[in-house]
Amino acid sequence: MSRFLYSILFATLLPLSHAQSEQSIRGQQIYQTRCAECHGADGQGVADVYDEPLAGDLSIRELADLISRTMPEGEPEKCTGKDAESVAQFVFDSFYSERARWQKNPPQIRLTHLTAEQLRQSLADIYGHFYNRVATVSDDRGLKALYYDGARLKRENRKIDRIDGVIDFDWKRDGPGEGIKGDDFYVQWLGGLKVDQSGRYEIVIRSSCAFIFRLGHPETEFVNNHVQSGDRTEFRRSVTLTAGRVYPIRFDLYQRKRKTGQLPASVSLSWKPPHGVETTIPKHHLVPEAPRAAFALQTHLPPDDRSYGYNRGLAIDRQWDDAVTAAAIEFGQTAATDLWPEYRRRRRNDEEAEVLSDFLSEIATLAFRGPLDQQARQFYIQKQIESTDDRSEAIRRSVLAVLKSPWFLYPSLDSSRSESRQVANRLALTLYDSLPSDSWLLNLAEKDLLKTETQITSAAKRMVHDYRARAKVRALLYEWLHLSEAAEIQKKQQLFPEFSENTVAQLKDSLDRTLDAVVWSEQSDYRSFFQSAPIFTSDRIHAYYGDEWSAKPDKTGYLQPTTQTGSLLTHPYLMSRLAYQDSTSPIHRGVFLMRFVLGRTIRPPQEAFTPLSPDLHPDLTTRQRVELQTSPQSCQVCHRKINGLGFVLENYDSTGRFRQKDHDRPVNVKGSYTQRDGSQVQFTGPAELAEYLANSHDAHTAFVNRSFQHLVKQPVAAWGYDRLDELTRQFRQDNCNIRRLLVDIAVVAARPPQTEERVTTNE
Amino acid sequence: MNKSYFSRRELLRKAGISALGAHLLCGLPGLSAAETGQRRQRLIFVFSPNGVIPKHFWPEQQGKDFDIKRILKPLEGFRDRMMTMHGLNNQLRGDGDGHMRGIGCLLTGIELFPGDIQGGSDTPAGWSKGISVDQHIANRLQENESTQTRFGSLEFGVMVPDRADTWTRMSYAGPNQPMTPIDNPYRMFDRLYGQTRNREMLASVLDGLQADFKRMESKLSKEDRQFLQRHATLVRELEQDLQKEQAAAKNRPTGHAVPQLPPNIEEQNENMPLITRMQIDLLVSSLAADFARVATFQITNSVGQPRMKWLEIDEGHHTLSHEPDSNEDAYEKLIKINTWYAEQVALLAKRLDETPEPGGEGTMLDNTTIVWTNELGKGNSHTRNNIPFVLVGGGMGWKMGRAMDFGGTPHNRLLMSFCHAMGHTVESFGNPKFCKDGVLTDLT
Repeated sequence: MSRFLYSILFATLLPLSHAQSEQSIRGQQIYQTRCAECHGADGQGVADVYDEPLAGDLSIRELADLISRTMPEGEPEKCTGKDAESVAQFVFDSFYSERARWQKNPPQIRLTHLTAEQLRQSLADIYGHFYNRVATVSDDRGLKALYYDGARLKRENRKIDRIDGVIDFDWKRDGPGEGIKGDDFYVQWLGGLKVDQSGRYEIVIRSSCAFIFRLGHPETEFVNNHVQSGDRTEFRRSVTLTAGRVYPIRFDLYQRKRKTGQLPASVSLSWKPPHGVETTIPKHHLVPEAPRAAFALQTHLPPDDRSYGYNRGLAIDRQWDDAVTAAAIEFGQTAATDLWPEYRRRRRNDEEAEVLSDFLSEIATLAFRGPLDQQARQFYIQKQIESTDDRSEAIRRSVLAVLKSPWFLYPSLDSSRSESRQVANRLALTLYDSLPSDSWLLNLAEKDLLKTETQITSAAKRMVHDYRARAKVRALLYEWLHLSEAAEIQKKQQLFPEFSENTVAQLKDSLDRTLDAVVWSEQSDYRSFFQSAPIFTSDRIHAYYGDEWSAKPDKTGYLQPTTQTGSLLTHPYLMSRLAYQDSTSPIHRGVFLMRFVLGRTIRPPQEAFTPLSPDLHPDLTTRQRVELQTSPQSCQVCHRKINGLGFVLENYDSTGRFRQKDHDRPVNVKGSYTQRDGSQVQFTGPAELAEYLANSHDAHTAFVNRSFQHLVKQPVAAWGYDRLDELTRQFRQDNCNIRRLLVDIAVVAARPPQTEERVTTNE
Repeated sequence: MNKSYFSRRELLRKAGISALGAHLLCGLPGLSAAETGQRRQRLIFVFSPNGVIPKHFWPEQQGKDFDIKRILKPLEGFRDRMMTMHGLNNQLRGDGDGHMRGIGCLLTGIELFPGDIQGGSDTPAGWSKGISVDQHIANRLQENESTQTRFGSLEFGVMVPDRADTWTRMSYAGPNQPMTPIDNPYRMFDRLYGQTRNREMLASVLDGLQADFKRMESKLSKEDRQFLQRHATLVRELEQDLQKEQAAAKNRPTGHAVPQLPPNIEEQNENMPLITRMQIDLLVSSLAADFARVATFQITNSVGQPRMKWLEIDEGHHTLSHEPDSNEDAYEKLIKINTWYAEQVALLAKRLDETPEPGGEGTMLDNTTIVWTNELGKGNSHTRNNIPFVLVGGGMGWKMGRAMDFGGTPHNRLLMSFCHAMGHTVESFGNPKFCKDGVLTDLT
């Protein structure tokens, strides 16, 4: 329920001046005699009669109308007109409205441990710290490619030095270029794999040549096919990768001259992303510059608690604890094999015992988000070193203890740190789901230069310009668009024979590109999502969706921008996800818009319904069928709102292809929406709806609230009286600039709500 | 789907791990001989490279009264339990140079695929076209509950170059599926005992962590404190569980000791003798724990170049092996090198013989056969006739204490004989062309 508390105010701040109005007193009397029996004296519900508490976001007017039409159940005529209005007033003020609920139960910041993603990201950043840099944001794409005549690296034989957008070549016996013998050459690709989403990836390499493919670390031979043998030409290996990271790639390919049996040369580098299908790794995910090494936790972590509508570290059980142990052991091993030699090399002239102690202190200081006190140093460092003669074991022991410690697992338990350090800790948690590890940020914290709003804002701005922040924003947009949970999009083959899993994969990429293009453009304007978003296409998408999806030919990557801009709202990936196999689903689309885009409360139906089959009503359009099925009064309470939005998108069929007709009848795309303030808006067609969503106050509030939840993982109302409204107002003033919103949220979350602040706000 | 990367062998191993989860965590041995009524038969292939000096290797006198030459002297103590097998030829032809076919066909008995690894002469080649006999036998053992073990087989190495090619791989899980030997004792230790040790490590830090939980609690609101206490309770329960688990492990009668490795030994040429001893300790302890009944122990690789400075030899082994017999210095050094390998085989045999058979009769050596072999008969001729096969121990149940001469027959027949002796009859092993005469006779 707390997910609906977003605009609830902070308890101690509200002047408790609720002298009940006369109307409300009358309403209370009626409620207690006619309603309380089923709904409970405080609207809390009555077991087995009406379990659900009375809580929601209807306006008083809507509530009165609803009571008048439907209550008491079976005898709605007994409470109408003024009576209904009085009851509505009482219910609204006492427990129904968001404000009323806030008064009863003010939200607070809760202690949470690291979420799975925060654990992965934190470890990746501790690791990255020892390699001095993480990937820097750049628009350059593709891998550096060096082509040599002769199957070994000989500088003077280098013939080609270029960028390859994708790796998918069939050179046959001709060789890769001028001056290079077809039967005797060497190619080296260097750069990185940019990962936007955490999860399991399968890397697929096909080649008729010998090769070694290194990933993540200069010494990690991810696929070693040093020997080309027989007809073995396909190599697959899965790996868990972390979002917002660039994993270094070194791909050495050898076409060796043979005395007999020389094969023609070909090579391709593909992947199967989480829940995706296999494709050549798109240019967009390959970058020419990468850090020397990057860490990806392989331990599987259990999913986080989502009872609040977003992931929070609230689950404490053996499974979670075991997973943390496994992760700590994995990271300890990596610290011993990768990080220690790196650190030792830099201080090779110092005494080993001293270097080891410093090394472990550095890990612990990062993980604990601040310096170690005497007690911590004794247990986490000295004791572990003294317990064994084996250096590697000392490292593993210390890291295990550090990563199992509450200092690491509970990021908010840092009240003993300096103010600036706490700010840095929160900025990293909010924007990266991680901990401070970049030296510039650590320096600011150490010099106590993160105290004023200007200082914090400036740091937050710098941090937003980072792949880690970009990945987190991508995940945020997925939450906002309800795409976080993987769903298979399948359509009836007889009806949509050309719509394949490859189409879906390309549509998903296309949507991802649009999301990135809007957020990371100069304007970063939320309204562009609905009004002027760059749309990306491919030959396959063009062939299926028609000329609106055409693009200038471009050989470098399969996705290119179309010549026109459009609206995310009607992107086929969304439209086809929000549809059945054979027909559209105005209900799914309507619920999606209400709940996610407009942030409104909708209850699930009292019982589950199977949609009416189109086959049984061949003469009805989908709209007519849905109207028929949801016509009963009890359904209409919600479906008036849902259908009114969903019907507007009937121009887009089950696969998201534009249509004018449904079952040979023109589609009716009229609809409406009742805003939070009770006023109604009418639309005809998707364009008008998109225009509305671009500028709607309800939609903006929903977006700001969703952003806060995803970034901070605490209720925004815990930060004060009308923080959500303030942030929304600022967002609208800033031309709906998403990047500025991220910074604003990070700045708010950087400082926990203080008593002084509450007093100030109260004034 | 994942044929090339996740071999059947690995899959089996994974399945074995989950099926035998308890064994894995507690280091319990498999079913003992007393429980199954069968003795545990074990087979270890020890590899050393670059051929031998036949004159100082093979006995002149055949049969029971065989003579022991210089190179085999370290094995003298096992005279009654050893068998030299002269006259077995690796007759595989096709792609690859002599060394490549020497090691690649040694345990597989089948040709190499065409490929792009070009040796010093002949045609280039890839990996072997078939499974090796160690893996084949391990697969059969894993199929049967009474012979199933945690790993099925273990692949040990010593100073194997960090390079996967035809010269560095002896064991194959199937066509084109070479097995990587683990030549770092610490990595092998982690593989064998990592789980147990990680739990010990965990147990040892939990106490200190609890103190920190207490420190943290004092700063929190009631609700948050309760949340953190739930976590602290979990930590305490885990600590108690681990204490029980460790107490139980200590009291287990058949519990074998986890070997103690000397710390911080780098993989360097000079450390080769020490690393070899560490690997032998791990090999013996893992077999005692019944983690596997088949193992390979690959010391360096085909064309291996260790510089045995501890024998006052500065040149690399492979380089020396190309010298003509007339180079007396090289000739003498090669004898010394091969004698050193024989010492390692003897050490392995000795360790096995010192360990009583867990839950059974006699010593582990009574139930284990060590097969010491090589990719070439002689280094400077690259011949694959008279491949060195010296057996020590009673695992196969053959009549030991003899020098045999098979007069030049395909070594595939020996590979078949191993399968039969381990209880799994085969019509052929490797290329059937070389198996027509069936298993070797006169072994029992």
